[in-house]
Amino acid sequence: MPEPLEIELNPAQREIVERGLLTSGFSCVLQMPTGAGKTWLAEQAILATLRNGQRAVYITPLRALANELVEKWRQTFEEFEVGVFTGEYGQRQAYPVPFSRARLLVMTPERLDACTRHWRSHWGWLPDVGLLVVDELHLLGEARRGPRLEGAILRVRRLNPFLQILGLSATLGNRSELADWLAGVHYESDWRAIPVSWRCVRYERAADKPRILREQIERCIAGGGQSLVFVQSRRRAEDLALELAESGLAAGHHHAGLDSEDRRRLEHEYRSGGIRVLVSTGTLEMGLNLPARQVILYDLQSFDGNDFVPLSTNTVWQRAGRAGRRGLDTHGEAVLLAPSWDRSAERYARGRFDRVLSGLSDKHFLAEQVLAEVWSGLARTRSQLKRALQVSLAAHQNRLPSVDRIVDEMVEAGMMVEVNQDGLRNTPVLKETRLGRIAVRQMLTPSTVVSLAKAFGANPERPEPAFTFLDILLVCAQTDDCEPLIPVDFEELEDLGARLVREHSTLLSGAHPVVMERFQTRGRRLLAVIKTALIARQWTRTGDTDPVAKSFGCYAFEVRRLSESFGRLLSAATALAAPSGEKDASDDEYVRALLDEGPPLLERIKALASMIGNGLDEQTVTLTFIPGLGAKLARRLRDAGITDIEELALVESDELAKVRGLSRDRASRWVGEAANLIRRRSALTFREFSTKVQASVSTWPANIDQYRLRRALDLTVRRRSDCYLVSGGLEPHRVRMDSVKLSCDCADFAKGENCKHVLATSLKRRDPVVVSLVERLKTVATSSELDLFQLWFDGGRR
Amino acid sequence: MMVSGKLHTSLNTAHGAIRLPAYVPVTTFGAKYPLDDLVRPYLPRLAQAAMVSFHYARQMTERPALPLFVDSGGFASLFQNATVLMVGGLGVLKTKTEASTETLHPRDVLEFQEKHADVAFSLDFPIPPSMSSHEGRRRLGLTVANARWAIENRRRKDMPIFACVQGWDVDSYAQCVEAYAGLPFDGIAIGGLVPRVHDLANVLRIVKAVRAVVPNKPLHVFGLGKPGIVEVLFKHGVHSVDSSSYVKLAADGRLWGHPTMKLEDASPAERLNLALCNLATAAQRALPLSTSHLLFSSRLWEQ
Ligand SMILES: Nc1ncnc2c1ncn2[C@@H]1O[C@H](COP(=O)(O)OP(=O)(O)OP(=O)(O)O)[C@@H](O)[C@H]1O
Ligand SMILES: [Mg+2]
Repeated sequence: MPEPLEIELNPAQREIVERGLLTSGFSCVLQMPTGAGKTWLAEQAILATLRNGQRAVYITPLRALANELVEKWRQTFEEFEVGVFTGEYGQRQAYPVPFSRARLLVMTPERLDACTRHWRSHWGWLPDVGLLVVDELHLLGEARRGPRLEGAILRVRRLNPFLQILGLSATLGNRSELADWLAGVHYESDWRAIPVSWRCVRYERAADKPRILREQIERCIAGGGQSLVFVQSRRRAEDLALELAESGLAAGHHHAGLDSEDRRRLEHEYRSGGIRVLVSTGTLEMGLNLPARQVILYDLQSFDGNDFVPLSTNTVWQRAGRAGRRGLDTHGEAVLLAPSWDRSAERYARGRFDRVLSGLSDKHFLAEQVLAEVWSGLARTRSQLKRALQVSLAAHQNRLPSVDRIVDEMVEAGMMVEVNQDGLRNTPVLKETRLGRIAVRQMLTPSTVVSLAKAFGANPERPEPAFTFLDILLVCAQTDDCEPLIPVDFEELEDLGARLVREHSTLLSGAHPVVMERFQTRGRRLLAVIKTALIARQWTRTGDTDPVAKSFGCYAFEVRRLSESFGRLLSAATALAAPSGEKDASDDEYVRALLDEGPPLLERIKALASMIGNGLDEQTVTLTFIPGLGAKLARRLRDAGITDIEELALVESDELAKVRGLSRDRASRWVGEAANLIRRRSALTFREFSTKVQASVSTWPANIDQYRLRRALDLTVRRRSDCYLVSGGLEPHRVRMDSVKLSCDCADFAKGENCKHVLATSLKRRDPVVVSLVERLKTVATSSELDLFQLWFDGGRR
Repeated sequence: MMVSGKLHTSLNTAHGAIRLPAYVPVTTFGAKYPLDDLVRPYLPRLAQAAMVSFHYARQMTERPALPLFVDSGGFASLFQNATVLMVGGLGVLKTKTEASTETLHPRDVLEFQEKHADVAFSLDFPIPPSMSSHEGRRRLGLTVANARWAIENRRRKDMPIFACVQGWDVDSYAQCVEAYAGLPFDGIAIGGLVPRVHDLANVLRIVKAVRAVVPNKPLHVFGLGKPGIVEVLFKHGVHSVDSSSYVKLAADGRLWGHPTMKLEDASPAERLNLALCNLATAAQRALPLSTSHLLFSSRLWEQ
């Protein structure tokens, strides 16, 4: 048990304990620097709660962290059962400790959201909760995840008004506002076990960055330190680590793509000092516990999927806060690499954190929560909804959109109906429709369900659209709820085009403008949608996340999350495509309906759901036509060489019985059923023969490079007294003007090219040649096929 | 006996000691009052004990985690289809429904209580103001007989038994309680006051008369737990009252002590919150943390 006496408390911890902030009975917002020991404080509060006979809930945004904590806490709190409730469990895998038994419940915000939506089935434990710890409280301000956390908090506080909230964060711009919202107290300390000094190291040209980095690292290592370098992309992490290693430094790279074993090994090597430099992306910045004497922020901007944007103060501090190893260093240093002319980097050191703003101010996410309130029965009238939301953070910050308008819109969109009920003094009551129910059950935003319904909804008035698997995935990927959307790099466009040519798609075939009409998304976001759908499609073909991640330059965990996310979207799509009012067809009808024609959309969606959920291709999935043969066994059969239903019909049942988990009895029954089935139905049922995509690159006269010019359109050019500052690309650059010519400090220009920065500057200077070329550029895009480059140059926002 | 320490400061039960005076919230089981299911898990945080009537206690699936008062079900003798019979010198309640006839013997009550209750009440028969004096006298006699029977036949020594007192005026109540003098009851419970509460002075005279006869035992009053009355009763030496007012007010969108305010169309969670606030007020406990907006946001209330 973590008794107060077992460790020497640091001054901040001591003050918090002495002041009794954790046990005051009030909610409390604690802001302390990274690594300052917030977890220990949370443990004290949890322990007090458990000993008081109540339950405690601990919310953490990262699943990996949840598992780590639970492992540790099973020992720390040995006399109390600790349960972990994250997306990994529940659906396919039972919870290690069920809700009813767990005294400490560790979960993600999404899980708490789900529990409060289904509050009646969780009534056995919700009232026992005395403490809700929200780690990384600033998550409230995150798009998508923030509103779900806030919605969950709003509901859980109404369901259990005794519950005390303990919010933890290192970076809050509005601590007291948040405490106010929770009607609680707050505390801030900037005490650090090891003080950190901030330095801004300036570079003239971006090309100098690697050299400067090396110098900084060498100086630190020479003094016995270790260095942690944060960069903006995985590729850069790998390249830089390699470069540093080649120059003789013990360097490694760390990013979210590593599996847990590699990650552990690397962390171990780093902790034991075998590795002196770690180059890392920010993906794991929350909760990554790898302190170093020196933390270098190599890039002060990051790619948000559309553009390069400056890092937030919060992010910089989350990273810089890792500086200083307890017991090894007497001080830590944070080094920021910034261009010599960019003075704004200084502001980071001042540590003015960003204000956490409620994500419920976004209408889409508010709509989702409104629907959840109605569905859960917690608010059934407009005034109940308004009262429930009046205590939201959004309302507290005066950022809550009009609830009436949201309700109107949702009634309009068919997500809810408003009916008059007797006895309630003519107050109309809100009720979710079938559409609304689907949204709440699958935890999707209403707008997502509306667009899925538009694409897949059963509609006797129109012929069923001839969607291929990729098309179905494209529709899903386009919604707000496809997560994560994998962004496309300019360098990837050729590869993407080459992949598309091998795919079948109705939606993507036809002339560029025709294709565009089928999508609500534009530009780079559409590219990301296409790439994300391709990744999911590839996953169904291989059933192995690693090679898929590798070939698309993303992380295996992203592929896994996509399979979950598409799973939810496809469950919703299945429900929507089913004729309303009808129950799911029985297996028999299911088979009969598929006899002659190509499989109707509903069956295709169902098959795809099974393919996505289990990494099965369109042949293997035919095995699941056998009643009682689930995806798991289908996969096992496939691995044993029985790849589809025709193979199954031909196999000896003795042979089949060797497959793990299969009795001889079942084996022979299945072979018989398969033989029966293939008389009517082929293993090629879901094979795709329709149109292939024609995607390509438009042509352009070669005198000025077309792509550089197009990219130049994206850049921002600001005039300075002696030069132009060009930003918006991978790195900011400086363009100078000598007597007649523009020159740039970038590598591209050094190679003798007219770089995009120079072109952007020419445009800013209204150079007539460049201006006319841009005009031409805009009228060229009338190729007869989808033009990926055009999408790229259409730019960022949707 | 069961009263320990300083006189009447607490009542010991198998599920813990109850400090007196105590507001004992009533809860029910079954489908009739769904709000009770929401409130029940919170009772241990706000109350020292809960009262379940015999009728609802029989539908109890899961026992709340606090001492339970279980009454005798004699209240049903007020219903149209009920008769009070004398069998072997004891009062037995016979209730006719379309399908069957049910009898409730003091033995049934005590047996059930010894299984489930922490504090028990003898089988009594209220005497409404409109009742004939002959029937009133008969009921009083049977109430006394049942109480004596209960105390003679108890097996669980850790379950306090309260003898119930009925009557129609100050004298009859006093006469009833005098019949218990010297017997080893753990407390006295006054019933039949609900239909007489409009004359509070009279109620207090009855309380005073009973108190005078048994000055050293815990005194419970059935069903008088409305705002304003509880404090007065406690001041007049009553040690505990049971009441469902807190939850009835909440079901109606109302807050304890604010008779003019009403939350129209309160949602289930709001009614839960109101009930908890009401109970906290009645039991003089701190209010639940996140209910303050309910109390202080004037926008919510229609005056
Ligand atoms: N008083 C203490 N003395 C020594 N070590 C401590 C003390 N308190 C905490 N630690 C250790 O410091 C490390 C960092 O603590 P912790 O994980 O709680 O940081 P945190 O405040 O949650 O930071 P973050 O913002 O990164 O989440 C842990 O290894 C913890 O065991
Ligand atoms: Mg932490």
